[in-house]
Amino acid sequence: MAHLPALKLTGVSKRYGDVTAVDYLDLEIGKGEIFGLLGPNGSGKSTTLKTILGLVKPDSGSVNVLGINVEDNPIAVKRKVGYVPESPRVYDFLTGLEFLDFTGDVYGMQPDEKKKRIEEFLRALDLEGREGDMISSYSEGMKQKVVIISAIMHKPELLLLDEPLSGLDPKSARIVKDLLRQLASQGITTIMSTHILEIAQAMCDRIAIMYEGRLLALGTIEELRQKAKMPESGLEDIFLKLTGTGDIKPIVEALLK
Amino acid sequence: MNWKNVLLLVGVDIKSYRVVRGSKFRRFRENKLVTYSLYIGACLIGALIGSLIGNFYSGVSDSALKKLIFDGATYFFIALPTLSLIYGLVFTEMNQIQRIGARTSIQPPYWFPITWKEHTLASILANVLGTPLIITIFLCSSIFVASIFLGLVPLVVLTILALLASIILASATTEIFKALQVRLSGAVTKVAGRVAIWVRLLSSILFFIVFYLIYFSLYYNVTPIALIESIAGGQKALWFIPYVWLGVALSTFISSLWLETIVFLLASFVFIYALFLAAVRLNMRFGLYEAPSIKISRGVYVPKVGLLGRLGFSTVEAAIIRKDFRAFTRRHELMYIFIVPIIFTIMPLILSMRSEAATPLPSGIYSFMFVYLTLLPGTLMAVILGSSIVGSEGERIWYLHSLPLSAKSLVKAKHSFATLFSLVVTLICSVIGGLLIAPSVSMVAIGLIEGVFLVFSLGMVSLTFGIKGADFREFPRPRMIRPIWGLVNMIVSIIAGLAIVSPIIPYGLKLMFETSEGWLKMLITAIMPVCLPEYYLYVAVLISGVIAAIITYVFRKMALNNAEQLLAKAEG
Repeated sequence: MAHLPALKLTGVSKRYGDVTAVDYLDLEIGKGEIFGLLGPNGSGKSTTLKTILGLVKPDSGSVNVLGINVEDNPIAVKRKVGYVPESPRVYDFLTGLEFLDFTGDVYGMQPDEKKKRIEEFLRALDLEGREGDMISSYSEGMKQKVVIISAIMHKPELLLLDEPLSGLDPKSARIVKDLLRQLASQGITTIMSTHILEIAQAMCDRIAIMYEGRLLALGTIEELRQKAKMPESGLEDIFLKLTGTGDIKPIVEALLK
Repeated sequence: MNWKNVLLLVGVDIKSYRVVRGSKFRRFRENKLVTYSLYIGACLIGALIGSLIGNFYSGVSDSALKKLIFDGATYFFIALPTLSLIYGLVFTEMNQIQRIGARTSIQPPYWFPITWKEHTLASILANVLGTPLIITIFLCSSIFVASIFLGLVPLVVLTILALLASIILASATTEIFKALQVRLSGAVTKVAGRVAIWVRLLSSILFFIVFYLIYFSLYYNVTPIALIESIAGGQKALWFIPYVWLGVALSTFISSLWLETIVFLLASFVFIYALFLAAVRLNMRFGLYEAPSIKISRGVYVPKVGLLGRLGFSTVEAAIIRKDFRAFTRRHELMYIFIVPIIFTIMPLILSMRSEAATPLPSGIYSFMFVYLTLLPGTLMAVILGSSIVGSEGERIWYLHSLPLSAKSLVKAKHSFATLFSLVVTLICSVIGGLLIAPSVSMVAIGLIEGVFLVFSLGMVSLTFGIKGADFREFPRPRMIRPIWGLVNMIVSIIAGLAIVSPIIPYGLKLMFETSEGWLKMLITAIMPVCLPEYYLYVAVLISGVIAAIITYVFRKMALNNAEQLLAKAEG
């Protein structure tokens, strides 16, 4: 892991009216890391990702991405980042190919490279044959594939993925997971928010658990086990214990009555 | 038929209007009293108007006038079922269009134990609710109260029955149209293949042109009384069309032809039931029909620099312009932008042709029409496009926010698109005007130059406000721009437009009216310098260009500022 961090959040806070979405968050992520951001619904994961990209301006604190202050130069940051939002609305009046061509142009890719990358990704994610159809006719999974390709095709240095595997078929999900690992080995950092704890456990070098905007725990899976004092447990049990939602048994029993 | 299921489905359908109305979903509370008060209000107002008419009738002492009112009312009652069918068709069809716009078309919950008959009946009944039912209740209560004074209670009871049957008839017809429309557009898409996009765009535009042509033709010289008379008289002649059987039944009733009345009434109900069964069949067949996807490109993908690249646009700007072009030709909800200039082109032509048929117009008016055709549609297009082009991104705005896009590129791309598109419209309209009116070369040149000035500068003015007031909400319809900023844009655009053309106005007036005779010529010569120098035209065009350039420059600065704020404040 290189010394210069890919991302540094210092005292970042964000409030929406009465709700504190992110509460004084400090975070440092190294280059080439796959970092998992976990937390219950409304814990501030998506807001954190948006803040990193400069889509949400924090009320306090600073965000530094790849050595660039996001507030000072958001465009320079965006140029180096690939982003998959939680529920993307894409230009569904374009075809998949037109959308990716548009993306390549906006990120300033050379025509040859753009063509090569688009064709490779379309083939890999089984979109060949449907690339000329309008996105409005795609299934949710196909739309997700197009958005993932648009985030990766320009070779970003940092990937911000909000529930990236939702809706993907097993083959495509596996391809994306393997791809992220390969990219990490090339020094590309991935920050991934997910509710699928098995994926986080299997893929992420380090995991942060957020709760009500605060960072509840941070570390490798082994470090989280130690913190939760659950040495043999999986991430699901650790997560439930740390977020205070561990006592599931009585709820299930009540439902069965 | 499980009637409980039908009622439950109608309830769901009613609730879908929350989305159509654009209700706020957080802390959502529905006031049922408000919903029902519309129906109660319609009933009360109807009764009040009915009693006013009845009292007026009772107070008339002149027997000839009394007979005239009585005959008029009888005609009106006889025409009502067909009138009700017409407004029922219009409003139920509008309901469907509105729902498609708001993407709240109810998908039949086919995985529930609900039959297609129940679903279809619920859909037909739900479609009647709202405006069609409010109008019907209003009509029913007013004619019922009036009939007590007129002594026409038996006829009105039958009319009320016919009115209710008519809106059900209209709704059943709309249900059939709905199923056929989906299937038909799917078939057209399949047959048209790659050109489906253009077929869809052109057929939509054609539909609106035909609609407005018919509308203007009907609108001219047609009074409501003439319409009622022609319906009341015409439906007897068209007795073989099942849609007028309810009205025919009323006609036979007042002629005391009891057997015919019963036959036509029964036949009407059989016809409604037949339509219902047809709608059920079509829903069974096409209710879950998935329209084929539109395949636009096939074969090998070759990235191109394209014309825009050669014109000096950066790849980012060219990509956004291309994307916007596709948006405005493929998104149904944006097609009104094409319709407005077309209507503004067609309307004066129809009116002038009609007027000319009555009395010949002064020749100066033709010059005015050429200027109107050259300047207005293109300028209007620039104003509408400029103000809506950023807001039209809708919920996809997150993508622009996440892209490495500078304010300068955004403004350049959006303004260039609005300008290029509007200039094409200006050119086309000018050619149409040239062919129809055959103006002088100087008039064509001035018209086109001023058109370019207006399009270029008002496009920038509107873009400035379009960015500032952009509204990205898409329910119940794409908003594009907040109303207050839309209004500000309209006012500023009118002022800026007048400022740009003001140096030309004296020359234009001289050109238009120098050939006319009488008071027009006297007026023009009285308010204008006796003769304008030869070089005035060149100076005027130059001043006009300078004003346009200044306006464009000032508003570009403002647009850049607004764009920077927009891109920095992604959370809205």
